[in-house]
Amino acid sequence: MTKRLVQGNEAVLLGAVKAGANYFAGYPISPSSEILAQASVYASKNPDFRFLQAEDEIASVNAILGASLAGAKSFTATSGPGFSLMQEAVGYGHKVGIPCVIVNVMRVGPGTGMPTMPGQGDLNQTRYGSSGDYTSIVFYPSTVAECFEYAVAAFNAAEESRSPVILLSDAFLGHLNEVVDLDAIEVSVVPRTLEPLASGSTRLFSGVATYADGEPATADSDEYIRQYEESRLNRLDVASRYNCFEYGWNKDSDTLVVAFGITRRIAQPLSPHFALFRPIRIWPTLDKELIEVAERYKKIVVIEGSDGQYANVVERMLFRRVERVPLLGGRMSLEAIREGLDRIGLLPIEPLESGAGSPAQADGSASAVG
Amino acid sequence: MAVKDKLKTDLFPTIWCPGCGIGLIMQQLASVMDDLGLDKKNTVLITGIGCTGRMGAYMNFESVYTLHGRTLPVAEAIKTVRPELNVIVVSGDGDMSSIGGNHLLHSIRRNPNITVLCNNNEIYGLTGGQTGPTTPQGIATISSPSGSAFAPINLQGVVNTSPNSYYAKTTVYHQGPMRKAIKEAIEWPGFAFVDIASQCIENNGRRIGFSSANDMLQNYRTQYKAAPAGSTQLDSHQLGIVKGEPATVVGKSTAGSGE
Repeated sequence: MTKRLVQGNEAVLLGAVKAGANYFAGYPISPSSEILAQASVYASKNPDFRFLQAEDEIASVNAILGASLAGAKSFTATSGPGFSLMQEAVGYGHKVGIPCVIVNVMRVGPGTGMPTMPGQGDLNQTRYGSSGDYTSIVFYPSTVAECFEYAVAAFNAAEESRSPVILLSDAFLGHLNEVVDLDAIEVSVVPRTLEPLASGSTRLFSGVATYADGEPATADSDEYIRQYEESRLNRLDVASRYNCFEYGWNKDSDTLVVAFGITRRIAQPLSPHFALFRPIRIWPTLDKELIEVAERYKKIVVIEGSDGQYANVVERMLFRRVERVPLLGGRMSLEAIREGLDRIGLLPIEPLESGAGSPAQADGSASAVG
Repeated sequence: MAVKDKLKTDLFPTIWCPGCGIGLIMQQLASVMDDLGLDKKNTVLITGIGCTGRMGAYMNFESVYTLHGRTLPVAEAIKTVRPELNVIVVSGDGDMSSIGGNHLLHSIRRNPNITVLCNNNEIYGLTGGQTGPTTPQGIATISSPSGSAFAPINLQGVVNTSPNSYYAKTTVYHQGPMRKAIKEAIEWPGFAFVDIASQCIENNGRRIGFSSANDMLQNYRTQYKAAPAGSTQLDSHQLGIVKGEPATVVGKSTAGSGE
């Protein structure tokens, strides 16, 4: 039982190792590069853990797909631009059915953007980044302890769904240092589910639409629909074992704040004035859970590091307009949130006596697992 | 016959056009696999996108039909995790050196113990016949109707940037030497690349003046000559093998210092 200072990115790596990861391929990109560097150090001390700094993100993501087929629990880590490069492979992983984890420590985009500034603008990319239809499972922690816990969850969900699961983080959370006792965090690990290559069968792992025997099914819509439905229902079924969210703060308030990742931490001083719904599983959306909570509130405000990517999703989930506080250009601070709330007339009037609005402990995790 | 055990003959006839050169490669590969005792428990195939990529489905092995250009990262990772497996990449010239070119450059540096068979038909056949990275300059294709604008890539040069690699140039007409090259490449300790000139009559040959697949095969017979023994570099239209230093520790290139 050792409490020590742990960095968010470090916790992701340690969580991966705890989950049994034994192959990492990656490419340096701020603000995720600590994961690459620490994976390299870990590999030098643990010969069964294989490490590759590949020539680019495309090689990295394809390498982890190959490594997984060969029998390894594999992962990579990147940020927005690198994640964009990986999209074709994400779709391939879904189509073929390959368990692996992709960590995206988000920064401000688009393009090369602001490499060291926090953003949350990749949400849609994690759901729709690749071409075609597929069902992503995506987690986004808010604390260093959760970075560890949800890294394990991501590997577990990857095994259960046989798909590339995305673990989100951001420039602030990745570099946040908190005192945690990782050994005290109870996790269970799902063992490898996919039979490794060359076990005696002659399977064809094909990105192209095929029948079970390997013949191309590139003109058979019925076969496509059959395979797609099976995959979609499987993903939703796996996701339903991870109904991870937080509902808290002042539940008697008449306004619900929806916030996630580092934003939830930054907004903590506002907790006396608002209720909070924090999705930890970003995709598939927590429709049932949010609908039930949202019913109780006259107003809903989504505070996020993008121009309304999750706000749009919430509106679709609830068929109801929401207020928005976008935190753009990396300006993710309590002051920016207060300015945003003020602009829409939701800035709480602080009582004169002390206590309200003081920075509360960022204990974060009240993750209610359904 | 044991060679037939390497093929999924119940899926024949194959999807390839009559006169395609790919089947000639598959035939010799199956034969070499039989010789060397390669089977579904000790060997995996990695195929790229293009007509060549279909080969995996027709062989009695586990195979990974990758994204376009990405056979090498997939193959290397498989070899890293399962060093006991024979990992054979079968891909086309575009998949290997155009979209896959960057990976080729870097796989060479890392010298993984994998074998690459490149079906080099100097065209993008599956998509109808566009210019490829190995299409000779001046050849008319459906994306270069006035003749391909640029010089082709120097595949031999790229592969031989590694001092430890094996490079063979052969053609599907030269069945004996091709078979020998495939066998040596599989046995080579490190990165081995067999560059196989192969005909695409349907989406290339018939547009540039060849009357039949056989016409193209006969052209390989007359146009390609064996390089003098001991050649360290092959000229264009020379057939031969250029061997680097076999790496003493596979997976470590001797290029550069301290690697």
